[in-house]
Amino acid sequence: MVEEENIRVVRCGGSELNFRRAVFSADSKYIFCVSGDFVKVYSTVTEECVHILHGHRNLVTGIQLNPNNHLQLYSCSLDGTIKLWDYIDGILIKTFIVGCKLHALFTVAQAEDSVFAIVNKEKPDIFQLVSVKLPKSSSQEVEAKELSFVLDYINQSPKCVAFGNEVNFVLLVFCFVPKISFLKKRNFFFTPRFTLSSSRNKKHAKNNFTCVACHPTEDCIASGHMDGKIRLWRNFYDDKKYTYTCLHWHHDMVMDLAFSVTGTSLLSGGRESVLVEWRDATEKNKEFLPRLGATIEHISVSPAGDLFCTSHSDNKIIIIHRNLEASAVIQGLVKDRSIFTGLMIDPRTKALVLNGKPGHLQFYSLQSDKQLYNLDIIQQEYISDYGLIQIELTKAAFGCFGNWLATVEQRQEKETELELQMKLWMYNKKTQGFILNTKINMPHEDCITALCFCNAEKSEQPTLVTASKDGYFKVWILTDDSDIYKKAVGWTCDFVGSYHKYQATNCCFSEDGSLLAVSFEEIVTIWDSVTWELKCTFCQRAGKIRHLCFGRLTCSKYLLGATENGILCCWNLLSCALEWNAKLNVRVMEPDPNSENIAAISQSSMGSDLFVFKPSEPRPLYIQKGISREEVQWGVFVPRDVPESFTSEAYQWLNRSQFYFLTKSQSLLTFSTKSPEEKLTPTSKQLLAEESLPTTPFYFILGKHRQHQDEKLNETLENELVQLPLTENIPAVGELLHTPAHVLPSAAFLCSMFVNSLLLSKETKSAKEIPEDVDMEEEKESEDSDEENDFIEKVQDTNNTGLGEDIIHQLSKSEEKELRKFRKIDYSWIAAL
Amino acid sequence: MAAGGGGSGDPLAPAGVPCAFSPHSQAYFALASTDGHLRVWETANNRLHQEYVPSAHLSGTCTCLAWAPARLQAKESPQRKKRKSEAVGTSNQTDLLALGTAVGSILLYSTVKGELHSKLVSGGHDNRVNCIQWHQDSGCLYSCSDDKHIVEWNVQACKVKCKWKGDNSSVSSLCISPDGKMLLSAGRTIKLWVLETKEVYRHFTGHATPVSSLTFTTIRPPNESQPFDGITGLYFLSGAVHDRLLNVWQVRSENKEKSAVMSFTVTDEPVCIDLTLSENKEEVNGSIFENLYCKKPLTSNCTIQIATPGKGKKSTPKPIPILAAGFCSDKMSLLLVYGSWFQPTIERVALNSREPHMCLVRDISNCWAPKVETAITKVRTPVMNSEVKVLVPGIPGHHAAIKPAPPQTEQVESKRKSGGNEVSIEERLGAMEIDTRKKGKDDLQTNSFPVLLTQGLESNDFEMLNKVLQTRNVNLIKKTVLRMPLHTVIPLLQELTKRLQGHPNSAVLMVQWLKCVLTVHASYLSTLPDLVPQLGTLYQLMESRVKTFQKLSHLHGKLILLITQVTASEKTKGATSPGQKAKLVYEEESSEEESDDEIADKDSDVSDLFPESEREKDEDIDEEEDEDAEGKDEENGEDRDIASEKELNGDSDLDPENESEEE
Repeated sequence: MVEEENIRVVRCGGSELNFRRAVFSADSKYIFCVSGDFVKVYSTVTEECVHILHGHRNLVTGIQLNPNNHLQLYSCSLDGTIKLWDYIDGILIKTFIVGCKLHALFTVAQAEDSVFAIVNKEKPDIFQLVSVKLPKSSSQEVEAKELSFVLDYINQSPKCVAFGNEVNFVLLVFCFVPKISFLKKRNFFFTPRFTLSSSRNKKHAKNNFTCVACHPTEDCIASGHMDGKIRLWRNFYDDKKYTYTCLHWHHDMVMDLAFSVTGTSLLSGGRESVLVEWRDATEKNKEFLPRLGATIEHISVSPAGDLFCTSHSDNKIIIIHRNLEASAVIQGLVKDRSIFTGLMIDPRTKALVLNGKPGHLQFYSLQSDKQLYNLDIIQQEYISDYGLIQIELTKAAFGCFGNWLATVEQRQEKETELELQMKLWMYNKKTQGFILNTKINMPHEDCITALCFCNAEKSEQPTLVTASKDGYFKVWILTDDSDIYKKAVGWTCDFVGSYHKYQATNCCFSEDGSLLAVSFEEIVTIWDSVTWELKCTFCQRAGKIRHLCFGRLTCSKYLLGATENGILCCWNLLSCALEWNAKLNVRVMEPDPNSENIAAISQSSMGSDLFVFKPSEPRPLYIQKGISREEVQWGVFVPRDVPESFTSEAYQWLNRSQFYFLTKSQSLLTFSTKSPEEKLTPTSKQLLAEESLPTTPFYFILGKHRQHQDEKLNETLENELVQLPLTENIPAVGELLHTPAHVLPSAAFLCSMFVNSLLLSKETKSAKEIPEDVDMEEEKESEDSDEENDFIEKVQDTNNTGLGEDIIHQLSKSEEKELRKFRKIDYSWIAAL
Repeated sequence: MAAGGGGSGDPLAPAGVPCAFSPHSQAYFALASTDGHLRVWETANNRLHQEYVPSAHLSGTCTCLAWAPARLQAKESPQRKKRKSEAVGTSNQTDLLALGTAVGSILLYSTVKGELHSKLVSGGHDNRVNCIQWHQDSGCLYSCSDDKHIVEWNVQACKVKCKWKGDNSSVSSLCISPDGKMLLSAGRTIKLWVLETKEVYRHFTGHATPVSSLTFTTIRPPNESQPFDGITGLYFLSGAVHDRLLNVWQVRSENKEKSAVMSFTVTDEPVCIDLTLSENKEEVNGSIFENLYCKKPLTSNCTIQIATPGKGKKSTPKPIPILAAGFCSDKMSLLLVYGSWFQPTIERVALNSREPHMCLVRDISNCWAPKVETAITKVRTPVMNSEVKVLVPGIPGHHAAIKPAPPQTEQVESKRKSGGNEVSIEERLGAMEIDTRKKGKDDLQTNSFPVLLTQGLESNDFEMLNKVLQTRNVNLIKKTVLRMPLHTVIPLLQELTKRLQGHPNSAVLMVQWLKCVLTVHASYLSTLPDLVPQLGTLYQLMESRVKTFQKLSHLHGKLILLITQVTASEKTKGATSPGQKAKLVYEEESSEEESDDEIADKDSDVSDLFPESEREKDEDIDEEEDEDAEGKDEENGEDRDIASEKELNGDSDLDPENESEEE
């Protein structure tokens, strides 16, 4: 029994991932992206969402790693706060209240206590770049009101601002004319701005700047332009003598630019959905990663330099290896283009099915909130180009328990040149996939407005009805197509019906499949599905019928129709009379397959309201006002696997099915009765097991090496006496020799330690200093909590102490002898190591 | 969840590879294969989610694995105000997977992060780990090993909490009681331990071989009246290596009766056991039992087998191994994992209690190719092969077939047909005679063409028809059509229709023929009562082909009709084929006597069909002409002459038989 609370609207799946550039963690293990009011932390290896950082109350507009502690993340939001997070554990550390809408966030390593942000204070369309001083305070909520103004009249998009390399503190701000500002060290004052006038190119009006990037080490700026060119500017300190080179491959606007960590290559992307890597900033040396599926919106590079990622307009992030190979795809609900097919449920996988990638149907698992796969229906290479008229997948329907899938694709270049194709796919159980069975060219003369299968359980012959604007509806049946060569089945047209040449707008079968209702504009016609005779017509003259559906179960004698003029009618099929009608501007009407309930979402100026009712009585069972401010476009009931048992009348409609709906901005919403606490994020629930990994041979070499270095440093600082490891390190040397060469770091790296361990084998420490070393080591660990493998060191604590004791014993033997040697040997060369 | 067991080398190791579904929603399926790799599959789309290779995968192969249970945290904060659009967290997601290895270490692997979380070594086992069980709520982990010990781990600290000797031989299986206070272990005998004190509570003996799986089957004792202390009265199930029996035991309060309460028989050693608690269904190796609590050996309630389709006639279907099975949350369907461990297929199968034996035929031959591309892009391409039926406008099936509407005409039709059939044999004989004569007499092409055509149509000889129909000579076509016997007109039209649907190049030729046939034999066609259903396809084909300029072609057709009538009224000329007359007269005399009366009667019925069909045809002709190049107008003149005469005859509504005689 689930605790009953208020029914709330909750977002589910597919919130936007591509709003801003994604940010990699320092070790490239995680990737962060903004998603509505949240920041999501994904694993770059498994594509899984590790954490959802929630705390902002409005759209998150920017995220940046804390340059001073790479285990922390800054985020800014339209709610006027900057928050600092610990992303490993998903904890909010601090909130800085700025007090005005923040549109983007930038951090600079040299500015320890301040970040830069784009705000708009006075007028809604004037944006300013300000530096926000973040006061140091121990409290959770800090007011950060100290804003110093940097620039105004800048572009809202963070792509048009770039911070230059650390040496010169170049700050670039582009509005429509590019400007460069120089930040002085320490005070953040700005010298007069330069303008990189592109006057030489003014002939072409299309060379507006779209994005900029700064070279990480050199004084070089890359800018992307509307005409697809990338310009590399150098020597821009001089107002007159600046130079630029042009890189041209993109034929459309450059959407984003990024330099690799070392600056040797430049990455660019655009609408072509091809990632271009320009090596050495020359036009000749370029590499491509094509067919990324959708327009590249953002490109980011991991600080470690091993990964890139591209955010795409179809709500996905592709993680790409340094060698330009896609390694992982983080995919939300695809939301590039308008949804024509509506929401459907695949009876086989129980997944939500709707338009996906261009020409694909996406199967989205609601249980795991993940995309299952895209089914390529059109099977043509997608050419992404502005203004190109594509083949659109306009209708789809599942029939016969998922055994059949009907899809309609359409391409209309001009009014008269309509291309229509209907495909009927059969699910092949042997190969567990769909196989095209029948392809019908131009099934109708005009657009198909509705498509429905007869899903009655006892129907022996699969039946499909298509209704079209050409005034006809066609009944397709599955017939035996066998000949002497093969056994086959195929679909053929069985009946063509029309009613006074009106456009057919909707069709639907009754639950038992005995009746077919087809609406012709304002008139509803009822046909007998056995003989295809017109049984009766209903006409209310209340506007064109927008939705039509039969009642189910005990209400199967009712037929419901919603018109464009805002009337909801219910007809009784037995008496052929209007049972009731109501004034309701219905946008979505969906019957629940498991009960008599019908959900209708109406649209008013205030927002969308939900009504749940039974056709037998005009009084609704449940009303929820204001479920969304936007227009709701589609809705669907999803049967639950395990029925809930709500007893109160208002929630009973949610017992057997769950209702999902899709708004105009393509956010998928549903109703939930569970309290927010129950819907915890996965990781807050995970076992709080400590990470403890045993030492690897690799650790013996590297970890010890680091320890020795630390020790050495400390010791040289504290007392001039040089203490160095002893001969018992020979196992480590042995490890070095026995470890396969390919897992070892470079020889140069190991050399010093190797030489150390060999040369100073006669060396020893005084016995009492060893425990001190251990203590110091522990201190060190607590200090640099940012070391990713510090858990390893912790594990080693015990081992080290054990080892230390051993050492004591061995040391004491040769102590005398060694001590004598100390004064003689000159250790100054050690410093050079 | 499914209990997994060891590797393949050991003769006393249980069958199958260690594998398990993730708890609750069964979103993932983890499988540790014999090559030492751990692979996690997404059950919903059968996609490889991640692959992990432990560093010591060759020496310490994974012997068992278990998913950590999802834990609900206590509600700490008071209920927040309701907010619009908050995110739905994916509930009940677990991310820790415990792997036992052959060298005695236990690895905790995080599936969310895709990396090793921790490694439990110190103070643990020094031999092969046989089974791992997570405690439901305390966060403890229990493991048993070949070193005869059972170890209780504190997972939070990654330390050994307790280690005790579980048996005199190796301990092979573990199971925690539903209330979490007792532990079942199985080595040589099955022991029930009190977890708090680590004391043996009960002994159960009965299996001859090492027990490979242990599962509690009930949460509550069967009779509710007795006070329930958490363990007494519960049933549990055990399976052993190489044993086709599954025993069910009951935990009794007294220490008497130690033998199994009942046992299930299976046809083979169980690979995987899962059960749904409320309905008491158990499922083993693709077999499902209804647990009835009686004391005789039970057989399965439902058996599922999977086999390959078996290509051709010679190869026999081979059974496909089932790796694991698990009940879905709706209890009416089953997740089946089958195929090779390298590329298993995961399928959700709906259970039907009425079908005791299900055999699923699956083709897994193409599963062997690893699809890396698909794994990343998640795009599936449905199959589009050449066996697809393509419907374009004009092809039968694209539009509803025109059916003979009134049943009366159907009767007539059938009679006529039967009559036609009767004579057709004679006709054929006659035609053959004529043929031989003709061939002997003259080698004129125009004469032999009708013969060839007739023969071709009757025998459906493709080559013969090709020879005739692929001619481009318009005059030849016209003469051939003129001389062809009337009964072949309909077959010819049907043949032409078929060819028109084909390649456009051949369709151009066929249009010539069609035009000729329709103009020459318009009157004959108009006499046929079943003309509409017979030529319906042709009509639809033409309709769709001339759609672009529909009105223009209609006008064109009407004009031509007018012109031909005018010219026809000026000229009167008849052209009849010489050799045909006698033959036709013979046959039709025989049929005439029978059918004459009927036709006279039905004429009134039929005639109301005529005007329409006539008009249609005329339009058709014209439309076809429209489609043709305009350059053929010269020939058209002659056509029209003939056609006009025929049409005039047809319009005058003469008896068709008379007309043919007249010709």
